[in-house]
Amino acid sequence: MDGVIVWTLRLPRVVLAVLAGMALALAGALMQRALRNPLAVPSILGVSDGAALGVVTFLWLFSNESNALTVSVHWLPVAAILGACGLAALIAILALQDPRPNDPLRLILYGVAMSALAKAAVTLMMIIGPVYRAGQALRWLTGSVNAAHWSDVAVVGGGLFIAVPVLIMARLPLNQITLDAASAQSTGLAVNRSRVALLILSVLLTALAVSQVGAIGFVGLIAPQAARLYYGQFTLGYLVVTALIGGLLVLTADTVARMILYPLELPAGALTALLGAPLFLTLLTRRQNVQS
Amino acid sequence: MIRTLIFLVLALTLSCVASLHLGLRVYAPETVWSALNGGASTEEIIIRTLRVPRTIIGALTGAALAISGLLMQSVTRNPLAEPGLLGINAGAAFAVTVGLTVFALSSPLAIGALAVIGALIATALVFGFGLTLGPSGNTGPILLIGVTIAALLASLTQVMLLLDETALETLLFWLSGGFADRPLIMIWGGAIALPVALIACASMASGIDALRLDDQSAQGIGVGVTRIRLAALTLAALLAAAAVAMAGPVVFLGLIAPHIARRISDGSRGFFHLALITMLCGAVLAVLADILARLIVAPGEAPISAVLALVGAPFLMYLLRSRRAVAL
Repeated sequence: MDGVIVWTLRLPRVVLAVLAGMALALAGALMQRALRNPLAVPSILGVSDGAALGVVTFLWLFSNESNALTVSVHWLPVAAILGACGLAALIAILALQDPRPNDPLRLILYGVAMSALAKAAVTLMMIIGPVYRAGQALRWLTGSVNAAHWSDVAVVGGGLFIAVPVLIMARLPLNQITLDAASAQSTGLAVNRSRVALLILSVLLTALAVSQVGAIGFVGLIAPQAARLYYGQFTLGYLVVTALIGGLLVLTADTVARMILYPLELPAGALTALLGAPLFLTLLTRRQNVQS
Repeated sequence: MIRTLIFLVLALTLSCVASLHLGLRVYAPETVWSALNGGASTEEIIIRTLRVPRTIIGALTGAALAISGLLMQSVTRNPLAEPGLLGINAGAAFAVTVGLTVFALSSPLAIGALAVIGALIATALVFGFGLTLGPSGNTGPILLIGVTIAALLASLTQVMLLLDETALETLLFWLSGGFADRPLIMIWGGAIALPVALIACASMASGIDALRLDDQSAQGIGVGVTRIRLAALTLAALLAAAAVAMAGPVVFLGLIAPHIARRISDGSRGFFHLALITMLCGAVLAVLADILARLIVAPGEAPISAVLALVGAPFLMYLLRSRRAVAL
């Protein structure tokens, strides 16, 4: 009996937490690099908000009067992925049609604007809709791994399986792109093409992870920065450390969230910042003391 | 250039007048006029005690948040910088939640005071951590520290509210931000903070203009980079604290108003000019958004931050496309 519980409930939950944390952390690292701004991560530039909009729209469209879903709940992740990719595509179109398509600042501003619009739409839909739906959406928006299933693990794992070889190939451009545009070009890098490729990869990783675990925040923002403080140079090792910190953060958050108020379970997404923030601040101050 | 300013002042006046008239009930101009002159009918009292305060609070909050955002974006050279990144909103929300759940403080005045205290403590924490990193010219860390501390406080608040559902119900209104039914005494915070901020902006303008260059060049022409940056961020924090006391956590306005201002102003003018335009933009945006908030989900009220996004985001995108690029 215990074996069954471990195998069907606990283990997929643990694996999903680790994989989702890895995917979110790597996605954050790619976007911060490609846009050269430590605050430019998928959760701030609208990818997660697009997913949230997809989910809320799904709950809106496919609920009947008694608040039961009229289609299988397994379509929910599809709605999240569609929402995330759709909003990202919209931002990309806006940025490409801009008079200055090569300026990362433009892309960032379009992202922030679209993210705010999506957030507003989600809020308004939750206000207008019945309370039950708002509760369901809120739970999703905080993000948790407590309903993990092996099929969820397969989705995120599959995404990482494709992303990792691409990242290994892309490690050189990832280094070059942090130079200013002119220097990067002179190292032989097609700056715009690489930027677009890195951004697409980042969006896909985020969309897959968020579709399975909800909008767990903070990991994509802080794991790459913590890895930089801990590991320094931007190399393959840095990506590995980023992924490990991300996985560890979500796993620890979920474990603590399960234990701390037993039998009440908190969503893991409520605790990633609580655990990640002190870690990051410690790393930041310690490293500075070593330097001085 | 004076034209832009006159246009914005006109726009602000018009939107304030509209704000007095429009809402769930639309009042005739003569009713509003007699209300302002001390009429005593029910309608006139409603206008004087509800519409007038929320219009003033909206304009003051918008102006304060806009200048705060402009200061932050200017001295950190990061277009994503906004008051929330100094931990202002998260700190205020945390303090208000602790006040309610632990000390059962729920009067509007106590909530306003707690908001200011929480906002300033959170900012002090951010600066404290920032200063342990030494007086480095690099502003990346201070924004990251701000995001981190804001996320930490938001997370603590969320856990407290998850555990105490009655507190959540009491605070939901305050936490979503807005200009209606706010303690009037807090207006003084904004009314004092704004003129002081404008004077400070005027005296710092040349220094902040020099910061548009990289730090070395700015230092080369004799600007105390660290000092100016610290002063500007402190001013930004005080303004945002005054705003959060008046209206609760309002997001997006401090981010977007400076971007809009940069695109309608003449880039060759200095920082003080930009600060004036930003302030007016913020006030107009806030009052307009507040009018819409009353109308779009009537008879209910939409959260002001959501409406600000609905109004501000398309406008920002339109300006991004229609005009030449403007550097930070």
